[in-house]
Amino acid sequence: MAWGTCRLLALLTLVFGAAGFVRGEVYQEPDAFIAEVFGSKPSPKLLWLTRDMQAQASAILGHFPAQLRQRYWSDTRRSAWILEEIGKEELITAGFVVADGHIDHVRVLVYRESRGQEVRQSAFLKQFKQAKLGQGDLLDRQIDGIAGATLSVGAMERMARLALYFDRTSRE
Amino acid sequence: MSPRLFLLRLLRRWHARIGFAAMLFFLFLAATGLALNHGNGLGLDGRFIHAGWLARWYGMKSEPPRQAFHSRHHVLIAANGRWLLDGKISGEKLPQPVGLIELADTFVVASDTVLYIYRLDGELIEKLGRDALPGIPVRAIGSIERGIALRTASGIFTSADALSWQRAARRSVLWSAPTGLSAAERQSYGETLVPGISPQQMLLDLHSGRFAGRYGPLFVDLLAVALAALSLSGAWFFLLPGLRRGRH
Repeated sequence: MAWGTCRLLALLTLVFGAAGFVRGEVYQEPDAFIAEVFGSKPSPKLLWLTRDMQAQASAILGHFPAQLRQRYWSDTRRSAWILEEIGKEELITAGFVVADGHIDHVRVLVYRESRGQEVRQSAFLKQFKQAKLGQGDLLDRQIDGIAGATLSVGAMERMARLALYFDRTSRE
Repeated sequence: MSPRLFLLRLLRRWHARIGFAAMLFFLFLAATGLALNHGNGLGLDGRFIHAGWLARWYGMKSEPPRQAFHSRHHVLIAANGRWLLDGKISGEKLPQPVGLIELADTFVVASDTVLYIYRLDGELIEKLGRDALPGIPVRAIGSIERGIALRTASGIFTSADALSWQRAARRSVLWSAPTGLSAAERQSYGETLVPGISPQQMLLDLHSGRFAGRYGPLFVDLLAVALAALSLSGAWFFLLPGLRRGRH
């Protein structure tokens, strides 16, 4: 690649990234995901992360949680969580529906990385169906990776564990 | 001296010369290659190097901040996707803020599509995306007696908890407004908020030669040719005695 093109690309990435124009690939708007799960969009609820919960969430994520409270939607059986986690360099936004302590379904809503979009495919996501938390807040099953999308797979797995943990905590 | 011996000596001499001349570069390529191969483990992808000369070298336009947002206890200055919030730098791709307000136990920063709610100690409580906002783009943020007011493209909305929003009238809102910075402040904050380059990107550019500009990759190509020549001549020196023995 010519040096001029390199500089132009770096500049464009900075300018558009800083301006927030890079929204990534939006597969489904989070609003639409919640409406699809519950039929209409119920009012959100808030889960405040206590110090203990922050420590537990840190153990799951491998880093401190980005915020102190988490918005979620729920009815008597199910809860829906829209979570964000960095795959390699950019955030992946995914929706998780938890029913009776098991993952009901998962969807990648916004994918911003340049590689690894395969994590949005149903063949990958169906591995999470009926998964629950086992010992040490790990999933009770092995999630098969995808070549070239290892970090995105890891991020999806961490978010699934966090959704299950948040669901359990929100019902205590 | 036989022509064969002459050729052998010449080749051996040049093998040594090329090997010695290229040694530093090969070591450099090996080191950068190793680092790139283990970039994730070394945490290179999540970090950024901030230096004015590096940003200039990459042709990244570093814009000094033009304004600051103040509340009673907080100050926000933003430029190049980075925020200087109460003297602490954060972010690499943060949006340009449109305002800052302070409530009883929180303060809130708004950009055109995101609302950041902080505790008074600066810890982020929640980041509200476009789905949690009553309308976008957010053009201004203000405070009412007990809550937040947003002026959006679709009207003015207020909320006490940032969960539910109600349409509201314009009056009784204290809108956040930026204050200008002096030339000295702009220069000083501009140096502080210089854009960053990921070490992984930099290593990749060093490894490929792109860091040195247009001719860098050509130089790395030459090194590749030199390495090929060294490999072939080395293999020849290694195999030659065996071939000779085979003939006798």
